[in-house]
Amino acid sequence: MPPEIRVEGLSVWYDRHHALKQVSLEVAPGEVLALIGPSGCGKSTFLRTLNRLLEEGGRARISGRVFLGDADIYDAAADIPDLRRRVGMVFQAPNPFPFSIFDNVAYGPRLQGVTDRQALRRIVERSLQQAALWDEVRGKLRRSALTLSGGQQQRLCIARALAVEPEVLLMDEPTASLDPMSTTKIEELVAALRGRYTIVMVTHNLRQAARISDRTAFFAEGTLIEVGPTRQMFTAPLDPRTEQYLTGRYES
Amino acid sequence: MRDWTHGGLARGLLAATALIFLVAGLGLVAALFLGAWRFLGEPSALSNLFGDFWDPLRNRYGVLPFIVGSVVVTLGALVMAVPLALGVAVTLAEQRTAGMKDFAVRALTVLTAVPSVIFGWWGLQMVVPWVRARVGGPGFSLLAAGIVLALMVLPTFSLFFFQSLERVPQSLREGSAALGATPDQTLWRVAFRAAMPGLTNGLLVGVARALGETMAVQMVIGGQTALPSSLTSPGATLTTQIITDMTVFPPGTRGHAVLDIMALLLMLGMYVLVRLAERWGSVS
Amino acid sequence: MKRGMVWHRVAAVLFAIAAAGFALILGSVLWAGLPDLTWHFLASWPNERTGGGGILPELINTGVMVGLTLVITAPLGLAVAVYRREYRMRRAATLNHLRATLLSAPTIVVGLVVYRVAVGWWHWPVSLLTGCLALAVINWPFMVTVAGEALEGVPQGYREASLALGASRWQTIRRVVIPASLAQLVEGLGMAAARLAGESAALIVTAGVNVSRHWSFWAPGETLAVHIWYIRTEGLVLNRDAAAAATGVTLMVLIAVVLWLSRRIARWLE
Ligand SMILES: Nc1ncnc2c1ncn2[C@@H]1O[C@H](COP(=O)(O)OP(=O)(O)OP(=O)(O)O)[C@@H](O)[C@H]1O
Ligand SMILES: [Mg+2]
Repeated sequence: MPPEIRVEGLSVWYDRHHALKQVSLEVAPGEVLALIGPSGCGKSTFLRTLNRLLEEGGRARISGRVFLGDADIYDAAADIPDLRRRVGMVFQAPNPFPFSIFDNVAYGPRLQGVTDRQALRRIVERSLQQAALWDEVRGKLRRSALTLSGGQQQRLCIARALAVEPEVLLMDEPTASLDPMSTTKIEELVAALRGRYTIVMVTHNLRQAARISDRTAFFAEGTLIEVGPTRQMFTAPLDPRTEQYLTGRYES
Repeated sequence: MRDWTHGGLARGLLAATALIFLVAGLGLVAALFLGAWRFLGEPSALSNLFGDFWDPLRNRYGVLPFIVGSVVVTLGALVMAVPLALGVAVTLAEQRTAGMKDFAVRALTVLTAVPSVIFGWWGLQMVVPWVRARVGGPGFSLLAAGIVLALMVLPTFSLFFFQSLERVPQSLREGSAALGATPDQTLWRVAFRAAMPGLTNGLLVGVARALGETMAVQMVIGGQTALPSSLTSPGATLTTQIITDMTVFPPGTRGHAVLDIMALLLMLGMYVLVRLAERWGSVS
Repeated sequence: MKRGMVWHRVAAVLFAIAAAGFALILGSVLWAGLPDLTWHFLASWPNERTGGGGILPELINTGVMVGLTLVITAPLGLAVAVYRREYRMRRAATLNHLRATLLSAPTIVVGLVVYRVAVGWWHWPVSLLTGCLALAVINWPFMVTVAGEALEGVPQGYREASLALGASRWQTIRRVVIPASLAQLVEGLGMAAARLAGESAALIVTAGVNVSRHWSFWAPGETLAVHIWYIRTEGLVLNRDAAAAATGVTLMVLIAVVLWLSRRIARWLE
């Protein structure tokens, strides 16, 4: 059973810019939560607080608490690499390493100390199958990942994330740069993963959110405006700003 | 129409300049060949050349001691400078503010411009006495030369290494961190690996600089022409021997022809380094 | 504490060692040289036999030789770089290999060849001008390199925009490409000046070490860098370490000022 995520009073500042304001939110185990909202409202920022990746950039200040299961991930004693192993992430732009396809997928397991070639092969094959890429790359695993198309690269990055067997999957507009065919494949993948992973997915594509998410959260200007079951959100939003956004009339 | 002629003239001038550059560059090598020929044309020139004994008075022109000197001093400098430079590059690349990095690049650029004679002066002042105190003997030694040279090429290495680490996109580091890599793991498995062409290129440029350095080495190496017996014994390199003997052998003498051969060896080495850098170090 | 930072710690230690090494070098030069660095030292003549005394002629020689060399090689280097980058040149790869090889050629090798050609064949004396010739040979590939990098920094879109407006290739180069790369060219020029000012090996054999008391381009001319080497290794004065260090400080200040100035001008041009 994947863990739940509980966010309490989370705020983020970039220098003086207040990018997230007192966000409190829960993600149930195994559900797919879609994050929607206008550009620059803090969706990526929110996602990056959930695996503490925000700290890599250096300039952000964070306050509030985030629980993964029972543990506060911002606890001083928290093991950050271990947290990130449990919380996988797929980025807005595909970012495969300039290595072979095999080495990309095997990267995570190798970090954990897996060196056995047979074991690695199994993991790589399974992950690529899960990410619906196996059929396109079997027999070409030694090729550089950079020779793949954009859509294939994004699915490779998903496979790479799945290979470490995380419990949570964070996806930042995973289909933003993809053609409809690849988009469909990734949506099917998310549907297939539902229940086994707790998934938080940012998207600008409202129909995509409606198709694949259990619940949807709407952000605007760093504030969580509303969160609820996707169907209810899209048919009868509680907040007038949500309605404006869904009908394309929202202005910040 | 006038513009066309104007452009045509300019183009012709540029082409002529480029041609002169080619001719001058190849001419430089040709002049060395011409000078070297006097010796190379002799019977058993090669066995004499690659002997390990240098004694022009007795007609012995073995350049092996200088080749050994050049290789040992360069390798010694690399062994010391490369880890230090990697440390500098990694530490600077970790800096988060752009201003700090900018300052670092500027400082390193200034340090690459510190003249050889300053390093030579420092070598005479501190390194040679230190070696003398530590191991006895004159202090002038391959070791002293290696230390001086290491510091001399350190800014070059650091600058190249830093810039190639900087070219690794932040998104790759984040991708690695997001998979649970520790900072060290990201450094070794992603940053160094992705930066490898740039690092190799910097390494080769630094090797070329070390191999070609003359004055800083000449001032501390001692100038002994026999095959050095240990790191702490005095020696000579190809470059230092050229400058020492240029005043001894005027052009036209056999000795001078051997200096030309040593220069040719150095140029050949540089050409090989350039081609290697092109193959392994091309930064795409 | 963050896990897995051991190598970063090691790197920080190595950084500290490297910084300490350079502090030691620069510090000891300053320490030894500053006390002797007086106006009198800068403005008087050296003693020809012992090497002590002032460094006025060396200062002038350095300025003249570096300046003259740059005036000659900057346009030549730019021309080669422009032709290689902006026109479809045959043998561009050969030219590039030659450029790179000459760039890393030991300067003493250049000195050796210039000595043979200029002194041996053309019967030029060991002199300021012969030294300039050596510096020019050293600097030409460097100028081609920095100019090439500057041209490479001009976005291809600029050229296409100009060509699309009906400008000829030469007009594009003159009115778009060179102005757009001017700042980088100036910075490259500064780096070339710094590099030349520090040159010693090639000049010892082509421009000589002794200082004559009359001004002539055909007389030997010792530069600051050569002077440091000369008094420190062959000099006879008692305070030769200090005199050499004071000359070193002067030279380094000169180089720093040149680099700083070229950077300022480049910033202003941007
Ligand atoms: N590293 C940073 N430094 C400073 N400000 C930042 C940084 N990253 C993001 N911001 C600012 O924080 C705000 C939220 O950014 P964020 O990337 O989270 O938005 P987003 O909702 O993901 O937008 P998009 O839909 O365009 O991806 C924006 O105003 C942005 O300018
Ligand atoms: Mg975003």
